[in-house]
Amino acid sequence: MIRTLRERLESKILHWAIGLNRSPRYRRLRERVTDLLENNQNPYKRFFDFFIIFLILSSVFILIWEVKHPVPAWLDYYDIYFVSFVFLVEYLLRLWISSDLTGDLVREYEQATAVGREFRLWPALVRGLRKKLAYMVTPAAIIDLLAILPAYRPLRVLRIFVLFRFLKLLRYTRSINQFVEVLATKRFELLTLLGLLIFVTLTGAIAIYVLEDMRNPAIHNIFDAVYWSLVTITTVGYGDIAPVTDMGRVIAMVIILFGIAMISFATSVIVSAFSEKLNELKEERIVEEINRKQEFLIICGYGQMTKMFFRQSEAKRYPYIILEKDPEKVQEALHDGYDAIVDDASRHETLARFNIKGSQVTVLCMSHDDVENIYIILNAKSVDPRIRVIARASTPKIVSKYERAGADHVLLPNQVAGTMMVTAILKPIMYKAIHAIFTGQNVALLDEVRVLEHSSLAGQRVGAIDFRAYKLVLIGIQKAETKEFLFNPEDEVVVETGDVLLVMGHKANIAYFRENSCLDERKCLR
Amino acid sequence: MSRNRIILFGYGKFGRSIADTLVEHGAEVILVESGESRYQASLKGGFKRSLLMDVTDDSALETLPVDPEDQLVCVMDDDHLNVFLVLSLKALFPENRILALSDSIHATRKLKMAGASQVIDLYAVSANRIHNILNKPIATRFMEGFLDSNHEYSFREIRIPEGSFLHERSLDEIDFRRYGVIFIGMIDVELGNSFIFVTTGLEHKLDSGDIIVCIGHDEDLDRFEEAIRHPREVME
Repeated sequence: MIRTLRERLESKILHWAIGLNRSPRYRRLRERVTDLLENNQNPYKRFFDFFIIFLILSSVFILIWEVKHPVPAWLDYYDIYFVSFVFLVEYLLRLWISSDLTGDLVREYEQATAVGREFRLWPALVRGLRKKLAYMVTPAAIIDLLAILPAYRPLRVLRIFVLFRFLKLLRYTRSINQFVEVLATKRFELLTLLGLLIFVTLTGAIAIYVLEDMRNPAIHNIFDAVYWSLVTITTVGYGDIAPVTDMGRVIAMVIILFGIAMISFATSVIVSAFSEKLNELKEERIVEEINRKQEFLIICGYGQMTKMFFRQSEAKRYPYIILEKDPEKVQEALHDGYDAIVDDASRHETLARFNIKGSQVTVLCMSHDDVENIYIILNAKSVDPRIRVIARASTPKIVSKYERAGADHVLLPNQVAGTMMVTAILKPIMYKAIHAIFTGQNVALLDEVRVLEHSSLAGQRVGAIDFRAYKLVLIGIQKAETKEFLFNPEDEVVVETGDVLLVMGHKANIAYFRENSCLDERKCLR
Repeated sequence: MSRNRIILFGYGKFGRSIADTLVEHGAEVILVESGESRYQASLKGGFKRSLLMDVTDDSALETLPVDPEDQLVCVMDDDHLNVFLVLSLKALFPENRILALSDSIHATRKLKMAGASQVIDLYAVSANRIHNILNKPIATRFMEGFLDSNHEYSFREIRIPEGSFLHERSLDEIDFRRYGVIFIGMIDVELGNSFIFVTTGLEHKLDSGDIIVCIGHDEDLDRFEEAIRHPREVME
């Protein structure tokens, strides 16, 4: 009888786990929660973080206020129930997403059935729960748990646990987090130092206790001695307890010297940890900054080409980041006033750092080394095929390789310069015209006017649009559907939404044309 | 155009393709090289009139058969040599148009100071192209269409012949679109052959002898050129 009950329970748990694991709604929910709590790029995470920070600060403020002033009942209720409840929910959610319990169960079950072994639920469940436990004993999780405790009123002592709410800020403020991370890199040095400190403090404490316990009225027990020792060694020296015998003073002098040595050692350890990490922290900030943009450029390499690229007027308008392997060149770029980080664009992790999913990313391969460029292209396309790649190639022979690697646009500097040279020799006037257009001189801007939804151009015949009134020349239209470029289109061609008009004219005239063809101002701004 | 004799200095990484393209376009090219192996390569490449000389030697350069109309093009692989060459050529043939290719920012400035009439900076044009690809992909593809050797559209300067119906007509009256060509500007001979875009608000009465600039498909341009020979506009 008991056996069957147990079996029924087991099968029920298993069914429940499998059901949840297969349910797309459950999965989506889980993903969403994970995203909200852990993905820094999630736009709502910011609000969530601010909300929690507000709760923490208000709770701590109430704690301080309470010391001297009576607190209105509603504020107390807010503190006890609302804040604690939110923290409890947050704690449970974090526990939930810390490991995939149902997934683990289902996987073990599937493995067992696949090899024909009998599936035993309890060991599998214990293994899964052990993972949860491992999360629960991490410092962050313990702090979270303790921060909920002040809600338990009968024990007034627990009020002080509100301070753990303050510690929760660690999770929500990045700079403190980074500080702790930096210190963690020097764990060995700091722990050694701590061990030394404990050793010296205890030695001093024992010595003073043995030597002065009878003579010094301020020292009653070993705790007083330890307190005195620590206050002295840290060079704080309150002076509430002071040695009265000569031997006691000698010990004080010795541990003061030790104290100074140790403080300078600790300072140097922390400073060196920061100076080592400072660049990394700065780079992280740059990457985070760029990841918030809707579209941005990743420029690989800081060479002549990149420098010239930035010399183009308006080139700085794009959000960009320069990746360069050579730290010296990065220094040069930073010196020139550009955002650059030391990183190798041919590594998968490098490109994966960027917010590829959320924004339109274009990678520019500017190196003169074809092998490196192709490697970067393949890397970019393997991270996400939506990344647009514009690459520079050295010889026409190798262009096909670039195309096979997936480059969206291949540029041959030698050829570009060569054709421009030939044009300058054979058709000097055309060269001037083309040069003027390419460099975007105001008189002869060749620009694209996209026909947006709220444009008065949509649905009109080409013949009906008076380009001459705007002092513009219509060169052609790229149709939205076929992507076909119609040069010098007939009057009967109808302009549709999504088409791109290629017009030539003065910058101001093009701007005026764009503005005038716009029915709803807010929606036409590009 | 009469200016199609070109003296090209250098048959290296740039010179080779430039020379080939120029010949394809029917220009007369005289190659000058200072390196023996490249000189041999140019002979093999079909340039029978190649010259081998020390380009740092003024007395050698003086012997070059240069007419005032010739264009001198300096595309030596070595930047320093290129600058030096431009400087020597400017001193010897001050009347000629001197073009030079530069592949570094520093050389561009020096070439200009040395007296080159036109300097094409490899990095500047390429960087500019990338900028344009990013910014205006359609416009860029269109513009590249002109530069390609197997171009779709051409850019043509047309001199209005004597007795054309365009004579004494104002620009507003003429419907260029009828011929499938786009009128984009004129060349002002008085202002030293400078090009004036139509978009600057050109108001002008055409005269025979004026040079107008149109873009279009080659056939359309041919047809247009034929049509404007007639004293009266033929209406279809």
